[in-house]
Amino acid sequence: MLEQSTIELLVSSFPKILEYGLKVTLPLATIAFILSTILSVFVAMVQYANVPVLRQFCRFYIWIIRGTPLLVQLMVAFYGLPLLGIHSNPFLMAVIVFTINEGAYSAETMRAAMEAVSAGQMEAGYCVGMGYMQIMWHIILPQAFRTAFPSLFNSLISMVKDTSLASSITVVEMFTRTKQIAGQSYNYLPLYLEVALVYLIFCTVLTYIQGRGEMLLGSYGIRK
Amino acid sequence: MSLLEVKNIHKTFGTTQVLRGIDLKIEKGDVVSILGPSGSGKTTLLRCINFLEKADNGELIFDGKSYDLSKISKAEISGIRNNTGFVFQNYNLFANKTVLQNVTLGLTAARHIPHKEADMKAYEVLSRVGMKDHASAYPSQLSGGQQQRVAIARALATNPKIIYFDEPTSALDPQLTAEVLEVMRGLAEDGMTMIVVTHEIGFAKDVSSKVVFMADGGIIEEGNSNEFFDNPKQPRTREFLRLTNS
Repeated sequence: MLEQSTIELLVSSFPKILEYGLKVTLPLATIAFILSTILSVFVAMVQYANVPVLRQFCRFYIWIIRGTPLLVQLMVAFYGLPLLGIHSNPFLMAVIVFTINEGAYSAETMRAAMEAVSAGQMEAGYCVGMGYMQIMWHIILPQAFRTAFPSLFNSLISMVKDTSLASSITVVEMFTRTKQIAGQSYNYLPLYLEVALVYLIFCTVLTYIQGRGEMLLGSYGIRK
Repeated sequence: MSLLEVKNIHKTFGTTQVLRGIDLKIEKGDVVSILGPSGSGKTTLLRCINFLEKADNGELIFDGKSYDLSKISKAEISGIRNNTGFVFQNYNLFANKTVLQNVTLGLTAARHIPHKEADMKAYEVLSRVGMKDHASAYPSQLSGGQQQRVAIARALATNPKIIYFDEPTSALDPQLTAEVLEVMRGLAEDGMTMIVVTHEIGFAKDVSSKVVFMADGGIIEEGNSNEFFDNPKQPRTREFLRLTNS
């Protein structure tokens, strides 16, 4: 069924594909995920605290980003930023776009998680003499983050696969690398199946990390 | 001089007037029970006094300083709160913190007291409410009565001049109610100044020095505990006491 040459191709290409997965795909997703999570906390807090003007600005940001395709955003950044005099390498550009894109979605996740923390927690914080930011830091955000964690990780897993879109702005990541190898050998299907398997392996590992993370964050004795 | 005095507090929610001009005077060492039917404004009064609700107008005199409730500043609010404690009906312990951390957070975060010192203070107040052995437990692992005792310890830890209790036993069964009331009785005997919004007529009778009876957003009758129960003057009060079998 499988020809000898195909098997050899799969074996020889596996390390090359994996290399770009570890060197480009995972770093792109991980860096963008961390930055977007930080961004989302700010955007969510602005809305939670109902800061005038800034709040409207955040809603506008979320509206624009959620209402346009990621692929289009990548293109706009790729062709638009140089016009503004901003020249950077495609990888960095991809990190920025993925961060901004993911930040909009995660901000809604974080806001919902913060609003799910009971109002009494804030009141109790005030009553022992803490200020708003202290209560945020010690009480609200840790509880909200615990609630949001599975959803945020969902987004990370989603983003690992979406990084393949970065190929459209000349980032050579795992999928682009696979396409190159396939193009040289004219043997497409086996290689695309192979790269699918590598994505699957990545996401399996991430799913495991999510489980460990949830345990690490603790459930405050609620579920044991 | 009174420790706490409120004058002419008004509060409306939408078009509903919840407080219609309340005057109240609390002396140091007083244990004041606020009784009254549901919807009479007891809880709102307590929340206004500790700024969890913003009163429409009125005056608050705390520890010799006078504040206009309609335009009190954040700094003034936090200055007053640093000298008060609050115990909620549904405990509101910090869900992500252990019992010990619940008690110390007001000391370490809000008052910048070193952790070691805060822990010592926390163990002291936790043993006072009989919860020292549960210091490392999370609130969700405790019974309602235990949670409320921790909440009392949390309020005590900051050495408040007065503690407000908002229906502290309303969410508890009779046995757990008894254990919480026992702790409160202890505080009263130690001279702690307390305002207690409660439905526990027995507690009001035995422990409190003063009773305030509220209905429809106003104070109907107030007086020292014995007088209030033995010789209620207002028809409204008599009716309430008859209905509650006391």
